[in-house]
Amino acid sequence: MAENFDNLEEHLEKFVENIRQLGIIVSDFQPSSQTGLNQKLNFMITGLQDIEKCRQQLHDINVPLEAFEYIDQGRNPQLYTKECLERALAKNEQVKGKIDTMTKFKSLLISELGKVFPEEMARYKAIHGDDPPS
Amino acid sequence: MTEIFSSLYGQNDGQVPPGSSTLGFGAGRPPPQPPAQNQASMSAQIPLQLGDEGPALRRPGAMNEPFYLLREIPVGNELTGNTNLITHYSLEHAYNKFCGKKVKEKLSSFLPELPGMIDSPGSQDGSALRSLIEKPPVCGNSFSPLTGALLAGFRLHTGPLPEQYRLMHIQPPKKKSKHKHRHHRPQDPIPPETPSDSDHKKKKKKKDDDPDRKKKKKDKKKKKNRHSPDHPGLTGSQPNCSNSLR
Repeated sequence: MAENFDNLEEHLEKFVENIRQLGIIVSDFQPSSQTGLNQKLNFMITGLQDIEKCRQQLHDINVPLEAFEYIDQGRNPQLYTKECLERALAKNEQVKGKIDTMTKFKSLLISELGKVFPEEMARYKAIHGDDPPS
Repeated sequence: MTEIFSSLYGQNDGQVPPGSSTLGFGAGRPPPQPPAQNQASMSAQIPLQLGDEGPALRRPGAMNEPFYLLREIPVGNELTGNTNLITHYSLEHAYNKFCGKKVKEKLSSFLPELPGMIDSPGSQDGSALRSLIEKPPVCGNSFSPLTGALLAGFRLHTGPLPEQYRLMHIQPPKKKSKHKHRHHRPQDPIPPETPSDSDHKKKKKKKDDDPDRKKKKKDKKKKKNRHSPDHPGLTGSQPNCSNSLR
């Protein structure tokens, strides 16, 4: 998969460089540079063909739309990755906190119910078995 | 009611075996004295509903006599937020890479080789990627090289482009880092003393570097003066000059 990305990156870099050179030729056009311009135009078409070929190798890649928004705003898309990771870690910690709290609550509830309803809790434990260690 | 039901689902429904009619009821409401066949069908149905494997912790409602709404304890080995998911999916390296140090804000720092002003919002010049999704380009034709007749359409007028189209050459201004200055200072042959002294010496050095020929001429003159006995204060003046330079 990494090879496919490298291949696409290489083609895109070549394409961008060709477009840049095309821009330079066009920015101050001289009659003698018509041949070069024609050549660059055909390079651009072959570049598009190469990129089109890369599309088949990367059809199963999904790009999050939020990353597009970052690029459209002129922001570094790595910031999106950073925020995703930070959000995931924060949510992970939040859920862990909830699980830990609920586990403590459960063990406390069972112990307190065992004091008030000892027979029922004995039956409950017979059905459910012993609680897994929290 | 049964007529409507049979008219909807056909006459075959009337031939349903008696045991299967009990399957329509919930598992928590078994008849008070279910027949042996009915129990067997229920026990076969419960695992299908719950998708259990192995020893079922949940028993039929009749056996959980004092309790109701008794559910299974969730399986312990399920992946939840209780585990550190970044470690679980081996993303520590990515986390340290992106969250450990400051990521530069601008798009040009991510794509430094891309020409043009790419830090401005794409909605301004119609280059937004979102427009590709909202208004996808009409495509489908394969790319074919331009022949001579088609290339005739690309004959351009000579001369420079108008100002408004010269966007390709505009690059975002790059900040000069102080780091470079620090590198230059140690390479200087004269060791730095006080900041005022070093500045002064820099100026002097610039002046000295330019007229190399003048130096040579001066040296020649000095040599000539050494030979002449009339030259005043040769031994006294020279050390003073060197001291002032230092």
